[in-house]
Amino acid sequence: MFKVSPLRKRQVIGGVIGLVLGSSLFYILTLDSTEAYVSIGPMNTGHQDLSCFACHADAKGNLMQQIQSNISHAFGARSEGVDFGTQDVTVDNCLECHDRANDRHPTYRFSEPRFKDAIKVINATTCITCHTEHHDKERVSLKTADYCMNCHQKLVVENDPLDISHEDLISNQQWTTCIQCHDFHGNHRYEVPEQMKDTIPLLEVKKYFEGGTDPYGTDKKYIALSQEEWLKKLNKN
Amino acid sequence: MELTKIKKQIIAFNVLGIALVSCGGVPEEKSATATEEKAFSVEEVLEMVAKENDVTRTLYTKAIVGKGKKQGMKFDEDWRKDDVEAGPLPALFLRGVATSIRKGPVPLGLYLGSDFPVNAANKFEGKQAELFDQIKKDQKPQFFYDEDQKLHTAMFADLASAGACVSCHNDHPQTTKSDWKLGDVMGATTWQYPKDSLTYKETVAVLNSYAKGTVDIYMEYLDEIEAFKESEKPEIGNKWPEEGNYLPTAEVFLDSVRKLASYETMKQLVASK
Repeated sequence: MFKVSPLRKRQVIGGVIGLVLGSSLFYILTLDSTEAYVSIGPMNTGHQDLSCFACHADAKGNLMQQIQSNISHAFGARSEGVDFGTQDVTVDNCLECHDRANDRHPTYRFSEPRFKDAIKVINATTCITCHTEHHDKERVSLKTADYCMNCHQKLVVENDPLDISHEDLISNQQWTTCIQCHDFHGNHRYEVPEQMKDTIPLLEVKKYFEGGTDPYGTDKKYIALSQEEWLKKLNKN
Repeated sequence: MELTKIKKQIIAFNVLGIALVSCGGVPEEKSATATEEKAFSVEEVLEMVAKENDVTRTLYTKAIVGKGKKQGMKFDEDWRKDDVEAGPLPALFLRGVATSIRKGPVPLGLYLGSDFPVNAANKFEGKQAELFDQIKKDQKPQFFYDEDQKLHTAMFADLASAGACVSCHNDHPQTTKSDWKLGDVMGATTWQYPKDSLTYKETVAVLNSYAKGTVDIYMEYLDEIEAFKESEKPEIGNKWPEEGNYLPTAEVFLDSVRKLASYETMKQLVASK
């Protein structure tokens, strides 16, 4: 049926091998069991049991349609390009499991204009600034724990219960002490100490950031949804 | 011979090109309202929703917090904590509305700030502080375009409209100002929206998202009451705290807001048609 010129034999064989190899790789690497090999890095502590699709939803349309749409966009034939392969992960993806009414620092608050300078230093409008995924087994990816200084320089605490006043801690630039009493999102139920010697040692906080045990305790008001619970919620809606 | 080969290659290239673009791309996500006529400027819509907010907050502050306190009901900034049996203070009621709005599909931002806030983290800075100075002088709304976020932004005076605003802020242990008087500009609400004009449908969606936010936070308050262990639970129904240890249901509360606010809003919505 096909007549292959003897001069092109090697090209054809190479092409067929490439096609078979490419198709096999595409098939194997899209199996659930090979997700670990596709992932660009380990998941954060607490996320280790999640499947890729929990965050990376399929983009709209098939691959051919996505290629076509982006070519059309490149030539100005359509106003917007489209996601290729999977959709971008946004704060909304995180909130599907981590939405908490008691969050004392919800991301949306930092969209207010007065946080303009603060978010240039630490962009708190998005979760991934502090919780970078596929990086390590960490919980918090910030290098230092002094981020409270970006917004709380003018903090005044009347009838300060702490043995070393908040005012002194701030004037001495001891910004890493905040996190030794206050968890950022405020979801832990625990007694805040009134003496500096009883606060959580910074080293323990660091270990927690790196994926270690929780120094604020395990009693939390809201527990994040597991993948199964999240799927159930999706099916309900 | 050579020419034929080139011709074939051109044909093959064109066929491939056509194949690539002929299967139909991903449908463009044109807003369903893109072809609809723009009915209101963003300023008009934000003024409408800010007015609804004034009515809602005044009703909550006067009829729920003010009268409720007289019945022994408690309101606290830590109202969400398990060991605190209280309802949300008016500023936190607004925060609850804002949170609910952000969870919905309408891209509306709502914030509350002041130059003398109870919580120092709510103090205006930069452009907002500048505009707030002007608002304190004439109580007129201020509008600007936030270049960084590409959002149309409006600020409206937040007045001490009830005795409870003045007494609570003056007596608060963390207060930075203790001589507030009724009618003072205590702060300002800041609203943000991405488009410069809205269709009728988008406008109604903004108003509805605010109303839904009101119901959501009020329902959260009623849920907290349900979990009270030590405090006496008010009876929830058609009656208000003015009449005793009662609280209106979310529907009754929203109905009253609508009765108080809807005339002005309706007038504007109808005038556009």
